[in-house]
Amino acid sequence: MNEHDAVFAQLATLGASLVLLFGIALLWRRSLRAYTKAFQWQSLVLSGMFVLVGYFGHDPQLYLMAVFFFVLKVLVIPWYLARLQRQVGGERESQPYVNIATSLITSGVLVLLAYIITRPVVRVSALPTRGGLPLAVGLIFVGLFVTITRRKALTQVVGFLVLENGIAMLAVLGTYGIPLIIELGVFLDVLMGFLVMQVFVYHIHGTFESIDVDQLDQLKH
Amino acid sequence: MMLILFLVMISAYLLGAFAALLSGRGAVGRGLVSAGAAVGSAAGLALGVLVIASGFPLTFTSARLLPLTGVALRLDGLGAFFLVVVGLVGCAAAIYAFGYSAQYAGRYSLRLLGVMFNLLLLALSLQVMADNALTFLVLWEAMSLTAYWLVLTEHDQRGTVRAGVWYLAMTHAGFAALIAMFLLLSGAELTTSFASMRAGAALLSPGSRNVVFLLALFGFGAKSGIIPLHVWLPMAHPVAPSHVSALLSGVVIKMGIYGLVRVLLDLMGGGPAWWGGVVLGVGAVSALLGVLYALMEHDLKRLLAYHSVENIGIILIGIGAGLIFHSYGLMTLAALGFISGLYHTINHASFKGLLFLGAGSVLHATGTRNMEEMGGLIKRMPWTALFFLVGSVAISALPPLNGFVSEWLVFQSLLGGSNIPTPEVAVVMPIAVGILALTSGLAAACFVKAFGITFLAIPRSREAEHAHESPPSMLAGMALLAIACVALGLAPFVVVPALGRVLAGLGGLPDTHAVFSLNLSLVAPNNFASMSPTLVALGLLFLLGLVPLVMLIFRVNRRWRVSDSWGCGRAGQTSRMEYTATAFAEPLRRVFAELYRPTKELSIDFHPDSKYFVQSIEYRSEITPWFEKVLYGPLLWFIRFVASLVRRLQSGSVHIYLFYIFVVLLILLLIARWS
Repeated sequence: MNEHDAVFAQLATLGASLVLLFGIALLWRRSLRAYTKAFQWQSLVLSGMFVLVGYFGHDPQLYLMAVFFFVLKVLVIPWYLARLQRQVGGERESQPYVNIATSLITSGVLVLLAYIITRPVVRVSALPTRGGLPLAVGLIFVGLFVTITRRKALTQVVGFLVLENGIAMLAVLGTYGIPLIIELGVFLDVLMGFLVMQVFVYHIHGTFESIDVDQLDQLKH
Repeated sequence: MMLILFLVMISAYLLGAFAALLSGRGAVGRGLVSAGAAVGSAAGLALGVLVIASGFPLTFTSARLLPLTGVALRLDGLGAFFLVVVGLVGCAAAIYAFGYSAQYAGRYSLRLLGVMFNLLLLALSLQVMADNALTFLVLWEAMSLTAYWLVLTEHDQRGTVRAGVWYLAMTHAGFAALIAMFLLLSGAELTTSFASMRAGAALLSPGSRNVVFLLALFGFGAKSGIIPLHVWLPMAHPVAPSHVSALLSGVVIKMGIYGLVRVLLDLMGGGPAWWGGVVLGVGAVSALLGVLYALMEHDLKRLLAYHSVENIGIILIGIGAGLIFHSYGLMTLAALGFISGLYHTINHASFKGLLFLGAGSVLHATGTRNMEEMGGLIKRMPWTALFFLVGSVAISALPPLNGFVSEWLVFQSLLGGSNIPTPEVAVVMPIAVGILALTSGLAAACFVKAFGITFLAIPRSREAEHAHESPPSMLAGMALLAIACVALGLAPFVVVPALGRVLAGLGGLPDTHAVFSLNLSLVAPNNFASMSPTLVALGLLFLLGLVPLVMLIFRVNRRWRVSDSWGCGRAGQTSRMEYTATAFAEPLRRVFAELYRPTKELSIDFHPDSKYFVQSIEYRSEITPWFEKVLYGPLLWFIRFVASLVRRLQSGSVHIYLFYIFVVLLILLLIARWS
């Protein structure tokens, strides 16, 4: 491994850790604003990762991806989230199903699991970025964990977006970016999914005067 | 030329569906929908005839058309034959639909009806061209789902939704079996072409070949309504609009026959004798029970639906006999068995299509499907009565119409059973002959009832009294099929060799179109028997002319008298004096009481002063629906039980559902890690 790759590996692991850190940061904040902010920062670091991999992996396409990613996930979606939050009221995630201390411990366990699961892949991989792979899988788990344990529809949406970020990170670290056309498709998917969820949040709020998702079980007959 | 016809067929169906999407209502909209379906079916019919005549299969390179989808289409003789069946009934039903669907305007969605009708025809036409399992299954599902929407057209009528649910459940149970079957046949690679599947099927172990056979029988049998998988058929076919019923009974259930012949004979290349025996047995039971239940029906369309079960049975008797002969290497007799099955397929398609269209006209005119409220319609709707009579004669297997020819062929192939070397197998054949003979007789009785009660005597209700003849488009649709019934009956010397050519090469069958030569009369192998329906018809025509001539010469009946038929000197006849459908079937109800287990309820209101004066009599009799009770009752109970267990998982909380997903994901990843 030469000097160049060593630096790359260090930076990639650092960036991936930062992204995961912002993901876990979600778990010990209660206010919805903090959720949005954490997601925004995470996306910012992640678009930096695109640039990083693009520079060291000599793939100029990734710069373009980084720009797209930045616009979508650092500007557009957080802006929508903030607007949504203003309209449905700035409720706090006051009572998650799992309290904060347990959440943090669980997420630690989940990251550990991610290390166990990805070990065979990491062992045979020769990529300089392989150190980040378990972190990306861990982020996917954490994102899912957020959607499971948080009551508010809005926090669940953020959890989904974090999960999406985890997948994007796995793609960029594992394959140095998938073909542009597919990546664009994924972006469109995220945007569409997000817009649909936004509509759902409005409707849940309109129906139950709250965005507590657990009230949905009233729909069961 | 063929490619052009193919493209015309596809685009006509699609344009028809598109026209329905734009505007289903109004004469123009209905006209465009019907025209699309009619032109498409006619093109399909022509394409099928051309392929059979030329003898060259038609392969479409769909790779350019639809890349990456794995769609493969190829039209060989067998497919072309079924394409002819689709085209014939489809064309008649489409023309008929123009007039018939007018009554739906404003009540039901004509848009949905038009779109689904065209799409169903498209799916059917492509179904017979599928050249790999994936294409076959996708089209099969498309056919099932479009048919489901068509069944639901009159969704607010009693029983329609229930019928639709039964249909959907049964057809999907069959579909599951078909998927399993194709996975076994193709080595779990659904895009394998039929050609390589054919080669692979020979290498399968006998055990898995038997499993394939049973799955095929279940899957295709559920579609074609063999007993005991028939329960959905008498529910779903009557509630659909009549031109759709014609298509369902005439064509859609025949896709089960197509699938059986394609898989068992073509792909598997035949099998042990017991396969044929099972098919023959199922066919015999379906034929007999189908007609017995039909006899007890007063609902005209339900009666016809039960007759579809019967006729599928007759077709399967022919195919089963063919499979048995095939397993003993008696190839000419095997070909005869398959030919009789396929011949009866197209015959049944034409006369059952015709009868359903006729029943639709009656329904259109009287607004009821209950035969007890009809009667005397022959005077008010003479053309419909004529066409219905043609269909009734054909389905009763009377010469010179088409039903006679194909049932004669089935009998001949069964009588060839004496050539089978093992006597314990050969003994099956005479039994089947007996059952088939009983079935034919009962079918004739049933259509005496259906035609007589519906069209003859005095009207039994005000609606029947004010019935009116159907519009020309409906009559034209029926006329087309009536002509087909006559033509197929008079020209077996064209049809049988054509069928021989269609079957040539499938499962090692020889090209038999030389054996059944182009003589006027049909000759069974080894000069066992021969028959010429054409000469029979000429003889009948001759008699028909001769009798009046003799009467004229001998000057009988010079004085004309006009009076009520069978008036017996009564001054005034009312419809209450008439024979009813129930009364007509009563003797048979007694003979087969063991099967029907009829429940009777008789309540008589006497006059309070004297027992000799009766005020009213109420008689109620129902037959026990065995299959629903004994077979499906426990099954439904079991499914409900399992469903109630699964229901506990359904808490209604989004978080719990997400948690399920998460846990399953983790478990799968961990399993993948250590395996």
